[in-house]
Amino acid sequence: MLQSKSFVKKTRRGHVVKVVREHYLRDDIYSGTPLDPECPPEACKLSGEAPHYLLVDTNVALHQMDLLEHAAVSDVIVPSVVLEEVKARNASVYQRLRQLAAADAKRFFVFANEHHRETYIKQEPGETPNDRNDRAIRVAAAWYTARLPTQKVILLTDDADNRRKAVEMGVEALSTAAYTRQRASDAPELQDLVAAAAAARGDAEGDAAAEGGKDAGGGGGKGRAAKRQRVYEEHRPMSEVTAGIKAGRYHQGTLRVNRFNSFEGWVGSESVGQDILISGRIDMNRAMEGDVVAVELLPEEQWRGPSNKLPTAKAEGAGATGGGEDALEEVPDGAHIAQVDPGEHYGEDAAAAGGGDKRPTGKVVGIIKRNWRTRGYCGSLQPLKAAGGSANHTQSVRFCPVERRFPYIRIQTRQAATLADKRIVVAIDSWEADSLYPSGHYVRTLGAIGDKETETEVLLIENDINTNPFTSAVHACVPPLPWSVSEADLADPSRADLRHLAVCSVDPPGCKDIDDALHVRRLPNGNFELGVHIADVTNFVHPGTAMDEEASARATTVYLVQRRIDMLPKPLTEDICSLRAEVERLAFSVIWEVTPDAEVVSSQFTKSVIRSRAALTYAEAQSRIDDARLTDELSTNLRTMNQLARILRRKRADRGALQLASPEVKFEIDTETHDPLDVGMYQVREANQMVEEMMLLANCTVAEFTLRHFPACAMLRRHPVPPPRQFEQLLRAAAAVGASIDPSTSKSLAESLDGCVRADDPYFNKLIRIMATRCMTQAVYLSSGEASVPEYHHYGLAAPLYTHFTSPIRRYADVIVHRVLMAALGLRPLPESLRDRELMHGVVDNLNLRHRNAQMAGRASVELHTLIFFRSRHVVADARVTKVRANGLIVFVPKYGIEGPVYLEDSAAAAAAASGGAGGSGGGAGGRKKGAAAAAADSNFVYDEEKQTVRSKDGSTHYTVFDKCAVRITVEEAQGNRRQLVLRLVPRSELPASEQMH
Amino acid sequence: MEYVSPEGLRLDGRRPKELRQLKAQLDVLSTADGSALFEMGNTKVLAAVFGPKPTELRSQEDEKRAIIRCEYAMAAFSTGERRRRGKSDRRATEITKAIRNTLEQTIMTELLPRSQIDIYVQVLQADGGTRCACINAAFLALAVAAVPMRDVVAACAAGYLDSTALLDLNYMEDAGGGPDVVVAVHPNHSNRVVLLQQDNRVAVETFEEVMELAVAGCRAVADFMRGRLLEHTRALAAARAAGEDGGGGGGAAMEGDSGEELEDDEY
Amino acid sequence: MAETLCTPGERLALAAEYDAGSGTCVRDSFICATLVGVKRVLPAGEGKAVQRPRVEVVRSGVEPVVPRVGDVVTARVVRINPRLAAVDILCVGPKPVRQRYSGVIRVQDVRATEIDKVQIQASFRPGDVVRAEVLSLGDARSYHLTTAKNHLGVVHARSVAGVPMVPVSWQEMQCPQTKAVENRKVAKLDA
Repeated sequence: MLQSKSFVKKTRRGHVVKVVREHYLRDDIYSGTPLDPECPPEACKLSGEAPHYLLVDTNVALHQMDLLEHAAVSDVIVPSVVLEEVKARNASVYQRLRQLAAADAKRFFVFANEHHRETYIKQEPGETPNDRNDRAIRVAAAWYTARLPTQKVILLTDDADNRRKAVEMGVEALSTAAYTRQRASDAPELQDLVAAAAAARGDAEGDAAAEGGKDAGGGGGKGRAAKRQRVYEEHRPMSEVTAGIKAGRYHQGTLRVNRFNSFEGWVGSESVGQDILISGRIDMNRAMEGDVVAVELLPEEQWRGPSNKLPTAKAEGAGATGGGEDALEEVPDGAHIAQVDPGEHYGEDAAAAGGGDKRPTGKVVGIIKRNWRTRGYCGSLQPLKAAGGSANHTQSVRFCPVERRFPYIRIQTRQAATLADKRIVVAIDSWEADSLYPSGHYVRTLGAIGDKETETEVLLIENDINTNPFTSAVHACVPPLPWSVSEADLADPSRADLRHLAVCSVDPPGCKDIDDALHVRRLPNGNFELGVHIADVTNFVHPGTAMDEEASARATTVYLVQRRIDMLPKPLTEDICSLRAEVERLAFSVIWEVTPDAEVVSSQFTKSVIRSRAALTYAEAQSRIDDARLTDELSTNLRTMNQLARILRRKRADRGALQLASPEVKFEIDTETHDPLDVGMYQVREANQMVEEMMLLANCTVAEFTLRHFPACAMLRRHPVPPPRQFEQLLRAAAAVGASIDPSTSKSLAESLDGCVRADDPYFNKLIRIMATRCMTQAVYLSSGEASVPEYHHYGLAAPLYTHFTSPIRRYADVIVHRVLMAALGLRPLPESLRDRELMHGVVDNLNLRHRNAQMAGRASVELHTLIFFRSRHVVADARVTKVRANGLIVFVPKYGIEGPVYLEDSAAAAAAASGGAGGSGGGAGGRKKGAAAAAADSNFVYDEEKQTVRSKDGSTHYTVFDKCAVRITVEEAQGNRRQLVLRLVPRSELPASEQMH
Repeated sequence: MEYVSPEGLRLDGRRPKELRQLKAQLDVLSTADGSALFEMGNTKVLAAVFGPKPTELRSQEDEKRAIIRCEYAMAAFSTGERRRRGKSDRRATEITKAIRNTLEQTIMTELLPRSQIDIYVQVLQADGGTRCACINAAFLALAVAAVPMRDVVAACAAGYLDSTALLDLNYMEDAGGGPDVVVAVHPNHSNRVVLLQQDNRVAVETFEEVMELAVAGCRAVADFMRGRLLEHTRALAAARAAGEDGGGGGGAAMEGDSGEELEDDEY
Repeated sequence: MAETLCTPGERLALAAEYDAGSGTCVRDSFICATLVGVKRVLPAGEGKAVQRPRVEVVRSGVEPVVPRVGDVVTARVVRINPRLAAVDILCVGPKPVRQRYSGVIRVQDVRATEIDKVQIQASFRPGDVVRAEVLSLGDARSYHLTTAKNHLGVVHARSVAGVPMVPVSWQEMQCPQTKAVENRKVAKLDA
């Protein structure tokens, strides 16, 4: 067990001092193949029957991961030096490589060459570390070659020099391109997976069997070889960038790209104090969403403001006809209709509020850290202009990502024809200065475009949601079904027996993961006992188990319109934890004593056993509350609870809690086809508010209690005060219609929102609230040790402390809170991991990210279903103007919860046509051609920013913000196979009465 | 940070249950009564023992037993860039106490009343496990100084990282933030534990596993040290025999068997 | 006899069968080594109450020694005053000590008889080498030694002229050169 065999010291130079680490060499490292008689059978990972073994070098591992992950590639030797280099260069690729090494089927063997006595080499004088590592890889390959005389060992490397040296050492070496060509017969799709840069290099080198390569060169080089001119400025060298940032010449920040235009973005910079606008493809200089970039400010006279016009689809057409990819003017993506998040303004960044002001504008001079997704980008191929090349020839095609933040990606494929109508995943490999678009390679096919399942898959991938089934290790943590409360649970002295209480749950219809239930009863002293019972998930999910880790990584259950992606395995989610009716379940209860005025006298937490009397839907609960004839226990209790909830709500409002609104919609789904049958506004009943009120009370109580016990590691949820500039737009819009909103405190905001009423438009107040909601920042989780007490504040609820306790089945944050609460009650020790500040920081970040992703996915799913819904329908709907622009309006359709742009030019023409038909009240507009350019529309409309009004020159039409209007909703095929909703203004007279809003 | 690769190798190429390379040199300082240079991998510690001698501070004198004084220091050059959270005196004090405590239980102090033994431990190079190396070096120096001791005392650390119990952590592993258990035992007396220190929390089951490993490590260290001591004694005996044959015998004069023969060579 | 080397803590023999000699200790009914050295077994000595062989560990080289009560030590007088003679202990039995332990021979401990008539200056002079026995561990400062036995006392002294003197009686020594007689408490040494 002891002692290394011999040892060599390895010196690594740090900044100033020498760091000496020991490095032990061993002679008990085996080759991992049954062909080697010395290798013990348990160490054998490679198959004895494999036709050849591959040994990869670092660059292959870094750039050809998609190739290595393909099922046809197996029996691969990964020298540990490669692993180390990959780890240092790209953590996510390292993770993928590790997963491959762990997968049995792939037979990837990690050969610890650095610790093997015969394959360890020392750095020669004058040899760079890279050269040394390359040599180490060759030595490892040579060792294998010598060790396994009967087996073919291929060194896979895209470095020609490396290959030459390997051949000199008697090792067979191939480039990835050559290797995939060799295997074209048995696995043709491999060739598409070869990363673009490598493929191009392989071709340029004129590799021996370049037959296929020539084709690729012909196809791929078509655009590029012809114009090897520089499109972009070269990025400054890293040293210069670092120096520049230090000297204040450049500014470092993360690029956030406009959601609707991949060539406009903002870089948040601390050194400038405000966000820097990056506008246009050239200034963006190949930076993409999320990249950490270095920016140089432009001279002030070149500063621009974000466009106050809607991006027009017309320009797109012009760009496409003007030479396609050669056009430098990026085609701004056309109108897009979307569900809009809180905290995000349609069509521009929150920071950009303030219309035409000049903002600090800059250009990207260097990219400090790329944020390219390793999971790839979903999208589809641009239709080929010419039917060039037969199916088997490599073609260069443009790939259009579904997410508009990203530019087109150029890929090489031989399957262009088959992929034309498919959604595919593509990964980016590089973006050279002489290439208009980044180069990437095909990863996999998701399915046919427009297919609901495919599109759902797309939105899940885009939001990085893990839909893999739970592993067997996770399932092993789930108690076997059928499960029931055991004697031991009942005998547990810390678990109160509350089965006698008339508990019930109230949830949306069809809800299977019931994590909360309620009860109320009158106490002899006239007060009420109020109880909230939460599924006792932590009784089943123990810290450190595989299930816990999986849940922690998923962080939340994701709800799509037709599907739920669980955080916990189904038996727990739907049965064991779910507080279903008429069965005994374990719960974690919060019980208060409250006066009839809903003043909390005392509160108490306990683990419990409950038996829910009924699992009601909101509608059922509401009807029980409303129907005074029902006098059964549950109904009277619900009424009492509702009374108390009302008082609580009023008190909360007095404290300044905001009542916000979101344009939630609800689909009625066909049970057979899963297609949406109908869509409508989500109805919020008083019962919803009652349940919400109880949950808020429970969450606040738990937050206070846990923070008191663990000031440094309680999990809280904070809602930061929104910066005043986020309200600018809302204030301006409100001012234009004479309403005043005071956002100085949440209380003043709440009161001024209450005051926003219009006699002629009952929906006005809700609309204002929806818009106010968008001004809010996101609420986030935090571990109490990370911030000071004032930062715990929850703005929206006007509560000093808040947390999430009530939904542990579907949110991991609640699981953590349950654990902290258990520790605070002394039921279980606090898990070590919760004390680890750094670890918790990571967990909290993940929770926030996943939470946001889940919301985005949910919204994307609604969008998708809206699209499907309107595919077969043409609807004219009631709408409200939410924003006025020089050439159009942004309108909101409450009934369907959609918002999007309409162009005045169209509407003017339409209006003209309509008015012409109606007798020509405004004659001047009649002569306009429908196909007039957008510019013409501009000149014919006058935009008044102060009044938020746009009117036609002749005065025939004018629109002010919050105006009522009517739109026709249609689905149109747009560029890049993006099917999208298109809104067009129609006279309100066309609006059917059924669609009228009141 | 990955401390144990899935292939079962640690950062420096050891397997989880392997010690680093041990080295010991005895009697390296001529001025000290006993001295030793002990290395565990890149951790290098020099220990010097002076005494037993009369106590210097009379207030400290103990009529029944010897007092042990211990001084621990870390050379300024021992850590390189890897500054720990300030080489505060507190850490040094704590290590000093740990070393002294361990040795007090090992030295038969009751045989040496009213005397004092000074032990100086100097860390020349630190790469994790310094306090174990210090204890081991001090033991060797004491053995060279022929201070009577109950048993060999050997110290070794073990930790728990990446769900694996690791023996003899180096600096990188030490800084990994996992539990770190330092154990010193008397191997000839059913592994009587004379020192047990632990950083960070650890579950009971894990602790047992780590502890077991650390004790096994101690036994291995003890075997190594015993071997070195015997080797050293043999070498000395051989040297002396050679010296006597040569007729020098200068050193042997001190072994005169009665006081009368003692020449007053100071005058 | 083959030399057996041992290290501290090693079990050498059963305590029931052997006596523990120097360099060993008894623990858990075993005799264990406390030093690194050669294990030696001395045959059962004559005249002992218990006839048992003795195990000891002999160390090659210098062994630390600390004076204990009853030990005969060799010391050098460093200073005298009417009440005592201050000495440095040089050897404990045959073994030299490594550090100087200080001791005192109080006036009442100089000789066994006529204690009240003892004069320190007539018994010891600085520089004399004295054989004495450890009486007690003494005060905080020094060991208490005694020379109140026939075989204890000055074993080596130089005359005023700087010449080693020869004992002439148990109370006097004479300088062989000057023939001057000086007073000392002389040890009676067996031939």
